[in-house]
Amino acid sequence: MTESNKNSCCSDGTDTVQNILSVLDIRILINEPLCTGCGLCGELCPFGLPKPSDNGKYEIKNPELCTECSACQRNCPTSAIIMREHVGCGCLWNARQQAKSKGNSCNCS
Amino acid sequence: MRKLEEEPETYDSKFTSLTKGVNVNVHSWVLDQIQSDQSILEIGSGTGSLASKMVSKGNIVVAIDNNIEMINYAKQKYSDTLENGTLLYRLGSFTDLPVEKRSLDLIVSTFLLSELRPLEQQIFLRNAWKALKPDGRLILAAEFIPSGFWKVSFKIKRWWFKKKLRRLRLKSTFLVKWFFNYIEPIGFKIGNQKKWKHGSIQAIELLKINDNGEEEPDYYRPKTKKFKGLVSQLRIYRCLFTGQIDRVPIEPGIYQSGNPSSKSPIIVTANYDYTYIKLMRDLQGIDAWVLCLDSNGINVWCAARGDDFGNKQLLEAIESTDVQVVSEKKTLILPQLSAGGVAKPQLPEKFPFKVKFGPVWSKDLKQFLSERPIRKPDSMKLAKFTFSHRVRAGITHTTFLFRKIFLIPIIAILLSFIALNNVAIIWWLGELVIWIILSNVIISIFFPLSKFTRKFIVKAVFFGCFSIFFIGAISWIFHSSYLYLLLNFAIYFWITFFSTMSFSGYTMSTSPKEIQAEYPVFRKINLTLIILVVILLGINIIFFILNIIN
Repeated sequence: MTESNKNSCCSDGTDTVQNILSVLDIRILINEPLCTGCGLCGELCPFGLPKPSDNGKYEIKNPELCTECSACQRNCPTSAIIMREHVGCGCLWNARQQAKSKGNSCNCS
Repeated sequence: MRKLEEEPETYDSKFTSLTKGVNVNVHSWVLDQIQSDQSILEIGSGTGSLASKMVSKGNIVVAIDNNIEMINYAKQKYSDTLENGTLLYRLGSFTDLPVEKRSLDLIVSTFLLSELRPLEQQIFLRNAWKALKPDGRLILAAEFIPSGFWKVSFKIKRWWFKKKLRRLRLKSTFLVKWFFNYIEPIGFKIGNQKKWKHGSIQAIELLKINDNGEEEPDYYRPKTKKFKGLVSQLRIYRCLFTGQIDRVPIEPGIYQSGNPSSKSPIIVTANYDYTYIKLMRDLQGIDAWVLCLDSNGINVWCAARGDDFGNKQLLEAIESTDVQVVSEKKTLILPQLSAGGVAKPQLPEKFPFKVKFGPVWSKDLKQFLSERPIRKPDSMKLAKFTFSHRVRAGITHTTFLFRKIFLIPIIAILLSFIALNNVAIIWWLGELVIWIILSNVIISIFFPLSKFTRKFIVKAVFFGCFSIFFIGAISWIFHSSYLYLLLNFAIYFWITFFSTMSFSGYTMSTSPKEIQAEYPVFRKINLTLIILVVILLGINIIFFILNIIN
């Protein structure tokens, strides 16, 4: 009874977007044309980062405070939120585990 | 077992050596229970050896497995039996059995149950019930926890085995913990039963009962768990003192708050004992259905960030419980912090509920349920790391440090000092324990002071310096010795530095990306400090032996 053990890091075309994000060091971004201003992201963010802007759409006010929990991105009805999701939680011991398994967790070349 | 499945050719022999030959006995016991001319379904057929033996006894067998390599291997190996048309290997899983309702005499499944989570086991039983004829039977073999004295030795072995698996980064199987509770409510009774190795491996024959011609079998519901009184308060403390290390699961399923009716709201939460007790206490006076997902005994926030509180767990809970029957309400209220795991747009189209995310903390649920705000006020949706959270986090973190980090060093130092026969230095060790506790008290009380930076290394250095002065001052009161302070200040610094870094997981506002980037730097500083501390410790010991300080 094996489950699919595919690594999330070996995924498809979203990689390019993700790479651009990491090069530009942008943590999170709302794609304005797609945003409908429903405000769900503002309800979900535990730090209240998405805020309504002047044109009725939403924008991330302090992206440096984002913890990449992906709550807004997962639940955005129009997939307007672009972010680089990180495996793991904010715990030091989890970071240690990630650092140790970095070598063998991703099989893609 | 999952590891073994990667190589079908060697699966049988490796599995036999893993169970020390018991699996062969299990198979022959299962075969003894089977007569001829029966239609049989085997779930999780693996390499297909049992299925082919059942066919040679004159039965019609369909064997399914969700591993395509296993199926191909079985097809190849038993190709001659396949030609009679009495044996069929195909890809499939217990969630969707490829047979008609009430069409089977017998369902066989060996060593599959221990791969299933509690709610999946219930789905398994329910699907088996639907596929069996009214007098049908289900034969299962699985790993169980033995009873009595053997439980202790089994637990020790299991603990050791799990440690080994963790080193190899493999997932271990689940123990079949509550399975016997499910049997009767869902509609089976136990017939024959056979135990091997003091009950750690068991084969059970279940007979189908309660078939009144209805489509669905009955549902299992866990017993109400107390959330008031001394015992549940002790359970809270248990969670506080073992958090970050131990998972404390309660049975997943539907619980009741008050006397809920078909008009009562449905509140979804994790199956961590602490979460359950807190939620139920906050819900007092409100009639509601509480659906505990199987988050593996982890709190909502951590489970959502891992893979333990997501769509998979939600769907599985909807399927295995009667939540659709008990309430007319078509809205599930999930904790806001579970949004990091549950993805609303990814839920299947025929998902029978609307998903609404409630407040962060359960204390706001009462207000949320009565007002049903479209936009939650900030107090409901912001995760603030308040003083009371910090105190609780501090307690949990201190116990974590003692159990996982400082236990072995402290015992080692203690033993070496007993060997040296020096009583004074045991005082020093006692002080060390107090400093560790004090460091964590400092961090949890003064944590907001370090708001000026998000970098944990900077925070750690800040608190390290803080504690040199603070603990140094207290230590001066005890010793009034510059030499003593000089020998120990690095130790004070290191304890607090290390504790602050390790505290990062509790703050809620730490990002995994940042902490992962900081880890290599932390490692270097930490190693340097440890070397320094060990050298100073050596000098300390020499001074103690020479009685220069005391």
